[in-house]
Amino acid sequence: MQQRSIVRIGVPLAVAALALSACGSRATTSTGSSSGSASKTVKIGVIAPLSGSLSALGLGIQHSVELAVKQANATNAIPGWKIEVVFKDDEAKADVGKNAATQLAGDDSVVGVVGDLNSSVSQQTQPIFNSAKITQISPANTNPSLTIGADAANPKRQYAAYFRTCTTDAVQGPFAAQYLIAKGIKKVATVHDKQTYGQGLVEAFTKEFTKDGGTITDAETITTADNGGNNDFSTVITKIKPGAPQAIYYGGQFPEAGPLSLQVKNAALTIPLMGGDGIYDPKFIQLAGGKDEGDLATSVGAPADASDAGKKFLADYKAAAYPDESGAYGGYAYDAANAIINALKTSLASASDPKSARQATIDAVSKVSFDGVTGKVAFDQYGDATSKVITVYKVEGGKWVADKTDTFK
Amino acid sequence: MLFLQQLINGLTSGSLYALIAVGYTVVYGIVQLINFAHGEVFMIGAFGSLAVWTIFFQGQTSILILIPMLLGAVAASVGVAVLMERFAYRPLRHAPRLAPLITAIGVSVSLQEIVRLFYPGAKSPLPYPQIDYVSGTALQLGDITLRRSAIFTVGALVVSAVFLWWFINRTKLGRGMQAVSQDPDTARLMGINVDRVIVVAFALGALLAGIAGVAQGLQTNSISQIMGFTAGLKAFTAAVLGGIGNVAGAVVGGLVLGVAESLATQFIPGAFGGTPWKDVWAFVLLIVVLVFRPQGLLGARVVDRA
Amino acid sequence: MSTVSTPTQIAPTPGYHPSRIDGLREQHGRLAWLLVLTGLVVLAAGCFLSWSYDPEILGNLSISFNPGSLQLFMLTAAVLALVYALAYRGPLRGLGVWIDSAKALMVLGIGALGFMAITLAVVAVTSSGLINIDPGGWVSLVGSLVLAVGGSLLERRPTKDTLHAQLPAWVEIGTIVVLMAMLLFGAAYALGQTDGNIFGLFLVFVVAVAWSLFAAGFFTWLGIVAQRHRRVLMLGAFAVAFLFPFTQNGSDANMSIATQVLIFAATALGLNIVVGLAGLLDLGYIAFLGAGAYTAATLSTSAFATIGWKPPFLVVVLLGAIVAATLGLIIGTPTLRVSGDYLAIVTLAFGEIFRLSMSNLDGNNGPDLTHGPNGIPAIPDLQIGSFNFGDEHTILGFSLGRFANYYFVLLVLALVIITVFSRLNNSRIGRGWVAIREDEKAAEAMGVNVFGLKLFAFASGAFLAGMAGTVKAHQDVSVTPDQYVFLESAFLLAAVVLGGMGTVAGVFIGATILKLLPEKLRFISDYRLLIFGVLLVLMMRVRPEGIIASQRRQLEFHEEDEALAERIEEVHLEEEAQT
Repeated sequence: MQQRSIVRIGVPLAVAALALSACGSRATTSTGSSSGSASKTVKIGVIAPLSGSLSALGLGIQHSVELAVKQANATNAIPGWKIEVVFKDDEAKADVGKNAATQLAGDDSVVGVVGDLNSSVSQQTQPIFNSAKITQISPANTNPSLTIGADAANPKRQYAAYFRTCTTDAVQGPFAAQYLIAKGIKKVATVHDKQTYGQGLVEAFTKEFTKDGGTITDAETITTADNGGNNDFSTVITKIKPGAPQAIYYGGQFPEAGPLSLQVKNAALTIPLMGGDGIYDPKFIQLAGGKDEGDLATSVGAPADASDAGKKFLADYKAAAYPDESGAYGGYAYDAANAIINALKTSLASASDPKSARQATIDAVSKVSFDGVTGKVAFDQYGDATSKVITVYKVEGGKWVADKTDTFK
Repeated sequence: MLFLQQLINGLTSGSLYALIAVGYTVVYGIVQLINFAHGEVFMIGAFGSLAVWTIFFQGQTSILILIPMLLGAVAASVGVAVLMERFAYRPLRHAPRLAPLITAIGVSVSLQEIVRLFYPGAKSPLPYPQIDYVSGTALQLGDITLRRSAIFTVGALVVSAVFLWWFINRTKLGRGMQAVSQDPDTARLMGINVDRVIVVAFALGALLAGIAGVAQGLQTNSISQIMGFTAGLKAFTAAVLGGIGNVAGAVVGGLVLGVAESLATQFIPGAFGGTPWKDVWAFVLLIVVLVFRPQGLLGARVVDRA
Repeated sequence: MSTVSTPTQIAPTPGYHPSRIDGLREQHGRLAWLLVLTGLVVLAAGCFLSWSYDPEILGNLSISFNPGSLQLFMLTAAVLALVYALAYRGPLRGLGVWIDSAKALMVLGIGALGFMAITLAVVAVTSSGLINIDPGGWVSLVGSLVLAVGGSLLERRPTKDTLHAQLPAWVEIGTIVVLMAMLLFGAAYALGQTDGNIFGLFLVFVVAVAWSLFAAGFFTWLGIVAQRHRRVLMLGAFAVAFLFPFTQNGSDANMSIATQVLIFAATALGLNIVVGLAGLLDLGYIAFLGAGAYTAATLSTSAFATIGWKPPFLVVVLLGAIVAATLGLIIGTPTLRVSGDYLAIVTLAFGEIFRLSMSNLDGNNGPDLTHGPNGIPAIPDLQIGSFNFGDEHTILGFSLGRFANYYFVLLVLALVIITVFSRLNNSRIGRGWVAIREDEKAAEAMGVNVFGLKLFAFASGAFLAGMAGTVKAHQDVSVTPDQYVFLESAFLLAAVVLGGMGTVAGVFIGATILKLLPEKLRFISDYRLLIFGVLLVLMMRVRPEGIIASQRRQLEFHEEDEALAERIEEVHLEEEAQT
């Protein structure tokens, strides 16, 4: 008896199964896309950390690209086409970035992408964009090997679709070395945080500095808080002190550089600390506790408010009232977006759909040349920016003040 | 000279480890629970004191402010620790060992995220105020540089240790703690309120962690929501090194670990020396101690129950 | 045909306590059933009307008599509710003896109510105003409310234990197959959703249905059936997994997530041997995955690779696994003598040592093996014969992208790992592990080689993780130290604990939850870790044994539960009788 009744379970189960499997099969009317206007749509992707501890920089990149696209659409820069921005969060993590890149690559109307912020993330997104023939322009990757490969002596282009508007560690470090030598500082201790960026910067600095006749009194490393450090640098400072250096060159970011600068000065070692664009941040000054007068930082490009284009960008950005500041890489992102837009003018002219214009866009980007916010925007045979303008900033009265702008030779 | 200087550096960071390690060891001695979230209690303490400064004393540096700041730190960390015990750990007291451990990881992640998301400006490291006499330019004794914050940290450890000794050996609650750690069931039969003893253990650990939070802020002038994780890990290492469950062991373990780290940074020569390998040597030390002396340096009361 | 079951004792539902609501239930029993019927009819009727004025919201819910996907969900719920209701009273009474239809109706009703409330809230918020909700939405909301009230008021009846239910084998196997098919379509559908709201609502729906089935006792029965037809289940699950890439229309977006889930799950399975079976807590497990990945990277043809020898990939897989296993032995030999919590901290320390060493060995601090923090980038795609894993291939008219290729490799790998895992679990070794986990001293006294078995658990777990790591290196293109931080170890442990210790299915579910949800629920992205932490705490309070727990494990967490102990014994006897 029981058996018979239980067999009936199968029937309702089957009904439920059928009902459920039918869920996905309703023919959906295509919603939203290209309704109304006659022009075709092409998309520019943004891939950057939009959440997490680096989100301030990532959001600046996103809004700068949005600004560039808004302006291009307003002037109808590419006749017959409307540009849209799609943005993806990479959380500054390689795994997440890879998923985001795959999603962008799967969108047929994406032709170019601005991003990533981190070199370590780009390492994993490069091949995805490259095989999809999507132009990738990073506003912030400073690791030299991304373009020229493992062996700096025998540079070889890694990915044809990859470009960057910022300069690399190989330029910033040596520029700082030349600056210090010119100021008569011949004895320097180096410290870095054992991260890709910091270590690369210090290596490039050391090479140039010793070549120009300087001495490295001591080379130390510290551990970042993310990697298990506790921001107590007393052991390192004890090691540096006997060498009596005239300055400390630091490779790394501001969260460690600020406390390091303060602790160096508190240890009665009144020498300036110099670093790269990673410490060129107002937060550095807060963390250095008011003892950082005279500390130095290099940053790529001329100060945005020094050129007319830069001033205009900052004014436009402000006028657009985005909730976040343009940040350290906003100008580069703006230039990167404009490089793609300029390339699209030629590549889309004869294209019927965005996907077929991808290869042509890569070719066109490698030939762009225009005056951007950060200087002349053009790329060499490896995809690196040809412009090598660097500015040294100095802490004066609790603010970063531009001290010297020059082209690296 | 360098040796002496690094010894002082090591004792300073060791004092910080010791202050936090006591929290692990007191709780473990009583409930055999690794309170993985104890590092976050330390972090909350630092943020508590910063909040007091920002709200009431913004811009001031007088040494007197240190007292309300310490009170703020202790209030925040003890509050969090007691809530944590009540709502996360107590319901699991008789669950298998893995459950409270996973809970601890969950609590730890949650506390970090709560601070990061809801404390104003905490998405990047926050500057910590400089207070007269306990931070600022170091004292120079011949060739030895003596940081003011270091004096504060070591002093805090000494005072705390004396207080702890008095509390555990001379008060009724303290003796109750000892009884519970030896045999909870008998202690309960003797009329000791075990629940209260456990809360007190958490609070005691949090008290010292809160002070440590202020010390850390004064030393580095920056606090962030991730600082608890590493500090907690090191402090736990120190507690195990000294013999977990043994309060004096936590202090000794902390100091040994701190000194070992700073000496390793200075004196291990060649490619495997310096800061990059410092933590590796600290952990190797831990493994070696555990393998050859599983009860820790001073021996623990409750090895076999682990 | 099977024999008629043994006479069954009718036991009250576990957790049954008389309370005020029981009084209400006694009074309004009859009315409640009618309420349920009314509620489900109203709910269903509402689904045929428009819910939203704006057709752009939630995949167009604005067409009357042509239900959109969300409306189809609620229709399905209504049909399921009808089945329960008729099982409670009516033509399906026979079924009602076995399932707790009253409780199931309550759960389903509350789930439907939640679903409707969220849906209407989303409509109101995105179109700014309650005015944009069409009458159909309100009708269905009221229907679900009536259903929930009715379900709650239904008088609870004791049920028979489904352990004694005997069905023809084809029905049981058929159920498994249907469930597998639903799983495939459900997954494909869910992953196809780019709209986070629809995805979230689909989850609400799935959870409501699953929970009601759970309340009805369906899963208890399913567990027994699955035990009986283990082969079919395995085969079915594998077929579903194998067919999954073909549902993606050549898009790689979801496959990229799927490969990460598989790698994560494969590693977690290795951890499950150590934690779930042998009961050794390992907090540095990610290091073994890293060891495999670094081995594969240094032996790859990347320009950054530091070792000149380039063996074929299968050799690399083996080598990576061996390197990881060796590390397992090295860390295990001295430290397994320490017990419990000490082991946890030692493994944690080991994980940190691994990460720090990988980030140090760059030529400045030690020999140049790993390029330090730069890692080893530009690892080329796998190439077996003329088949390059980086290219898109077309198979039977379906185009499969790069990640789909890796997905298949990983699937094979997962199959190997599952086989090893379940073989070990059901062997002398597995029983030895369980004995150690339960009581080390007793096990030793009974002649179990405690040290040897512990070491073997460590090494075999590490071996499996190392294998997964070798594929991960090629799939990821680059290997860097920051992928192997403590948080990853904690996530692995969480996957094991969340899904259910000691079970294969549990680990896969845990891995899927932890890897997939953050990708799909982007709008909560900044709160993701917070939710993860809170979830761990709540899980440990509510269901510490995990979503799918092995019953033996479940007993461990509910020692005082006599009924559970008896049941497990019964299940055991049942199994004995069958073999």
